[in-house]
Amino acid sequence: MAAATDNPPADITENLPDLPPSTLLPPLFNNTNPPPELLTQGAEALLYRTTYLVPSIPCALKHRPSKPYRHPILDARLTKQRILAEARVLAKCRREGVNVPAVYALDWEKGWLLMEWIEGGTVRSILDRWLHSTPVGVDASKRESELKDLMSRVGQTVGELHRAGVVHGDLTTSNLMLKPVSTADDTLASSHEEEGKQHQEQREQHLQGEVVVIDFGLAMQSVQDEDRAVDLYVLERAFGSTHPRAENLFQEVLRAYGESFKGAKVVLRRLEDVRMRGRKKSMIG
Amino acid sequence: MALIETFHLSHLPSSYAVHAALYRDVQNASFLRQQLLSGNTEFEYAFLDATSIISTMHALAAAFRATNDFMNNRLRSRNVHSETVFCLSPNNNIADSFRRFGVNDTTTNLLVIKICTGGEITTDGVRTHLSRAVDGAAVPFIDESLRSMTDLAKIKKIYKIGTSNNVGSAGKRNKSDISPTGSQMVLNGNQAELKERKELEVAILGLMALRGAT
Amino acid sequence: MIAIGLEGSANKLGVGLIRHPPKGGPAQILANIRHTYNSPPGEGFLPKDTAKHHRSWVVNLVKQALKEAGVSAADVDCICYTKGPGMGAPLQSAAIAARMLSLLWDKPLVGVNHCVGHIEMGREITGANNPVVLYVSGGNTQVIAYAEQRYRIFGEALDIAVGNCLDRFARTLEIPNDPAPGYNIEQLAKKGKHLLDLPYTVKGMDCSFSGILASIDVLAAQLKANPNQTDALTGEPITAADLCFSLQETVFAMLVEITERAMAHVGSNQVLVVGGVGCNERLQEMMGLMAKDRGGSVYATDERFCIDNGIMIAHAGLLAYRTGCQTALNDSTCTQRYRTDEVLVKWRD
Repeated sequence: MAAATDNPPADITENLPDLPPSTLLPPLFNNTNPPPELLTQGAEALLYRTTYLVPSIPCALKHRPSKPYRHPILDARLTKQRILAEARVLAKCRREGVNVPAVYALDWEKGWLLMEWIEGGTVRSILDRWLHSTPVGVDASKRESELKDLMSRVGQTVGELHRAGVVHGDLTTSNLMLKPVSTADDTLASSHEEEGKQHQEQREQHLQGEVVVIDFGLAMQSVQDEDRAVDLYVLERAFGSTHPRAENLFQEVLRAYGESFKGAKVVLRRLEDVRMRGRKKSMIG
Repeated sequence: MALIETFHLSHLPSSYAVHAALYRDVQNASFLRQQLLSGNTEFEYAFLDATSIISTMHALAAAFRATNDFMNNRLRSRNVHSETVFCLSPNNNIADSFRRFGVNDTTTNLLVIKICTGGEITTDGVRTHLSRAVDGAAVPFIDESLRSMTDLAKIKKIYKIGTSNNVGSAGKRNKSDISPTGSQMVLNGNQAELKERKELEVAILGLMALRGAT
Repeated sequence: MIAIGLEGSANKLGVGLIRHPPKGGPAQILANIRHTYNSPPGEGFLPKDTAKHHRSWVVNLVKQALKEAGVSAADVDCICYTKGPGMGAPLQSAAIAARMLSLLWDKPLVGVNHCVGHIEMGREITGANNPVVLYVSGGNTQVIAYAEQRYRIFGEALDIAVGNCLDRFARTLEIPNDPAPGYNIEQLAKKGKHLLDLPYTVKGMDCSFSGILASIDVLAAQLKANPNQTDALTGEPITAADLCFSLQETVFAMLVEITERAMAHVGSNQVLVVGGVGCNERLQEMMGLMAKDRGGSVYATDERFCIDNGIMIAHAGLLAYRTGCQTALNDSTCTQRYRTDEVLVKWRD
């Protein structure tokens, strides 16, 4: 009679060799001073803040590291494919007038991408702040209309994204940013002057600014209603789980989406099917 | 006297320097081009026709990619200077890139880029040599100088941008000023033009970054 | 308490007896025996023949298990059987035997979800408390994490299971099915070293394998037609071993990737690999490398438990029975489709 736990199998990682961590910076950035600042570490990629060309131009560095468990040939192939796909999608979106970070530089062999730094906060953080309390200087009814307007712009932006033939693949409120309106800028070098105090206050009272979509690591080029509907479904589920009180606000997102391009209403109908099917084919667990 | 702007571009080793000098009314473009073609080692520069350059960042971006490719043994052309010219290109045709971006016999607005990897060549050294070699009026290497030189129509044609379904960014931006609560500033004509120029610039950077990807 | 478990959802017929000590403590394995139906090389196992195999072996195995355990029918508290998912006729064979025992011994029945059986046995054996579970077998490929009394499916194969892909390729190569086609692919792969280009299909948290199977079948056909093919990179000859190697490297990388995504999503660093394909040492190694890089750990059971067996059904069934669950005779059906997240995991908070 053996206890099930007699001689439990060892943790498999204990017998494996020590390898350099996959979270090291790409070699080029080891020279950088100050070193790039790590912002997020996902399963797929690491995101840093650093500069492009000169200190006055901030940028985001996305690095898809080599994965130690993959065969090196497969690893190189996947890394290259994915960073390229992301860069292409970003460039395509920007070309079509969708608000996404611009691509500055790329090294697909080394798996890194430098792109425009987007100032501002995520829609997620805004909703967290604005749903739980009314910010200083804003009255309650104004708050409602500001939020509604923001939702409308979110819906419109997602519509523009889909119209450009791109599906995001991971639409959550953390991947939507609100970039404050800046004064006229012509070239990169002059676009990041210090914001005046006036702008700062304005930003906190009004949800002005452009909605910018970020993180296209799972994006793909598609015009299928199904893919677009799943995109919306993921965003809807994200709303539901992270901002449970915002469900009626999401209706505004869908309404604005429905009016953003020809064919959007068909996608909304498809969304109903996706909802009924539930988990299969969507990404939120 | 040449006006040299020296950059230590982000992420490149500190011993690497990128020197840039901009000239108006250049008289000896053919001579300079000849030195390049004959492989005169004193003339290892990227000589660019500034009418094809939209901004300082445009040129520096090319220098950055060329240097990164050089550091990774991925040069497609002879040296890091010819590579800088090539890196401006949206496609893989090296000869084309020289024709479109490199100095030609009729060039009067000239941008010179020198990339030093070992720190052996100094800003002073570059200044001295260029002052002797280039017959033209030195202007500061800044966006204002370039703005008066840029041939936007030519650039749009080279990069195939600005046709009906491409960076019609003026059209896109206008959408934002019909928002019901007027939460976007309405852009006046001049601002719209500047925005369009910026969109053109980032579109170019994207094309340069993606060049050669299969 | 003591439970007997009958498992027959695929070609393995397993009977197990487990004891949960009254005052808690580790479960005790009183008996765990199995007999596998193997079809000839180049063929898959058909439901009809498999069911016949199960029917001929079940009485024998139950008797043997009781003898090994040194228990009698009276000592058994409940009879657990695999309700699903799996193949219809084989499932039925084991279920019929369970119903018969229930009537004969006058003991209650407990229908068990096959996947939950794998998960609970894996947790018990390895001590992994709340891992992300990769369940990979001939019939299933799921990435699972526990939340609020459900084993939630985070990612899965959208078309065929990874084990199915490997098994079918074994048929293509006409490799023996004994002891298991996947095991033989694994051994052959160890002799391969050239990585051939195969489609890699991960979409979000899900993956699919029919595309890669089609591609590898084409490569196998090409190799059969022209045995003198050489690898583009090295110029060395390509062998069937290289095909197996490439297939494993690619599909396992896909599995590790979706597991890592789930880990990042739920914020977990522990992985438990269960199911027949979980025995594969290369898969274990790759999963280990991924987890080690994240500072996490990976647990897997040996072939007694990762391959379909009766003890996991007894264990999961007894856990449910102790919370008051049982299956009335009229409800003791089987179902080919039975999603892991349909089960209310009352025995955990």
